Amino acid sequence: MSEKKKRSIFGRLQRTPKEKWKKEEFTEIEYEPTPVKELLTEMKDISELIIDLAYSAVLFDNEEIAEEVKYLEVRMDKLNYDIRMMAMMAARTKEDAEQLAGILQVAEAAESISNAAGDIVNLLSKEEKTGPILPKILKESETGMRIIAIRRGDLWIYNPQSDIDIKADDWLITRGTDEGFDEIEKFLHGKLEVLD
Amino acid sequence: MSEDSVEDIVLEIKDKSELMVDLAYSSLLYDNNTIAEEVYDLEDVVDKLYKDLQRKTVENVQNKKLSVNDALTVLRLAEAGEQIADAAQEIADVELRDVELHPIIKLSIKESDQVFTKVQVNEKSVLAGKTLGEIKLGSETGMYVRAMRHDNKWLYGPTKRTKIDPGDILFAKGPEDGAKHLADLACAKTSDI
Repeated sequence: MSEKKKRSIFGRLQRTPKEKWKKEEFTEIEYEPTPVKELLTEMKDISELIIDLAYSAVLFDNEEIAEEVKYLEVRMDKLNYDIRMMAMMAARTKEDAEQLAGILQVAEAAESISNAAGDIVNLLSKEEKTGPILPKILKESETGMRIIAIRRGDLWIYNPQSDIDIKADDWLITRGTDEGFDEIEKFLHGKLEVLD
Repeated sequence: MSEDSVEDIVLEIKDKSELMVDLAYSSLLYDNNTIAEEVYDLEDVVDKLYKDLQRKTVENVQNKKLSVNDALTVLRLAEAGEQIADAAQEIADVELRDVELHPIIKLSIKESDQVFTKVQVNEKSVLAGKTLGEIKLGSETGMYVRAMRHDNKWLYGPTKRTKIDPGDILFAKGPEDGAKHLADLACAKTSDI
């Protein structure tokens, strides 16, 4: 995927408008030639980011992140339509069909992952009456250490890319190990000058 | 049935399902059947955990250790993890079919934000002989080792106590610049972590 295009999806400063996902939910599907590779790359990226975002929305009881999850879930639906159309147009031979079926299977799985992430953030809705048990469960998960979102004033950067500057007073949402967290906390508070 | 608490089991389902997604995508990238089969095995583990959890949660409600609302929350969260595990299995399924993978699949995985990388650890590398915790590879390079190959054996989801031996092959996930750093460390081109 071209860098420019990628920028437009991830790592930009934004504020997901409330219920933006509802507006996008049943937009008209129109055939628009897009390389299958771009579609699949975006679907894979979303499938990984959306899991992290969903668990953090629940952990921090944060509606804004939940809105972004819902938006990404809707976007994933659209990408899944697009990739099916592209695959159908691309199939010329039996061999094409066999190989393209594999691509669609991966795309479908990425979509299922985003649906599961949507179910996770739905636990936050008022009707669910979820207790404080959620943060308690999710507190001590053990994989990874990366910044999944930055909050700057009212705006958010989801999945920040390596060229994003961190500014004073930014809030970082990270996932990672205990030790990693202790280090990064000291570092961010200025008690530690180098991350070693 | 395990003696773990309800919370422990939910977390285990969460961690396992995330590991499965990583392994499933990397099985396609490296066209690797062994990793794909591991995803299938993990799916069985997650199914079993989910069933244990259901029973235990219901028992906890009966013993008044858990409110009905909390119990439902626990089960719904775990259900989402279970669905993620199923999706990972669908991805691994593509690798296990006897059809040559479409080149686009590999390209898409390569071009994504979080890249997978495979490196063999040279005997002169600073990584050799250390545990993952000692070198803090994850915090330093951003690269998380998700699977390791030691001779003919495999280790999935290594912990910080896992030791790296010379000759081991690491399958790691992280940002692109981290992948290069890890490759340089593994082949002893640099020893700066």
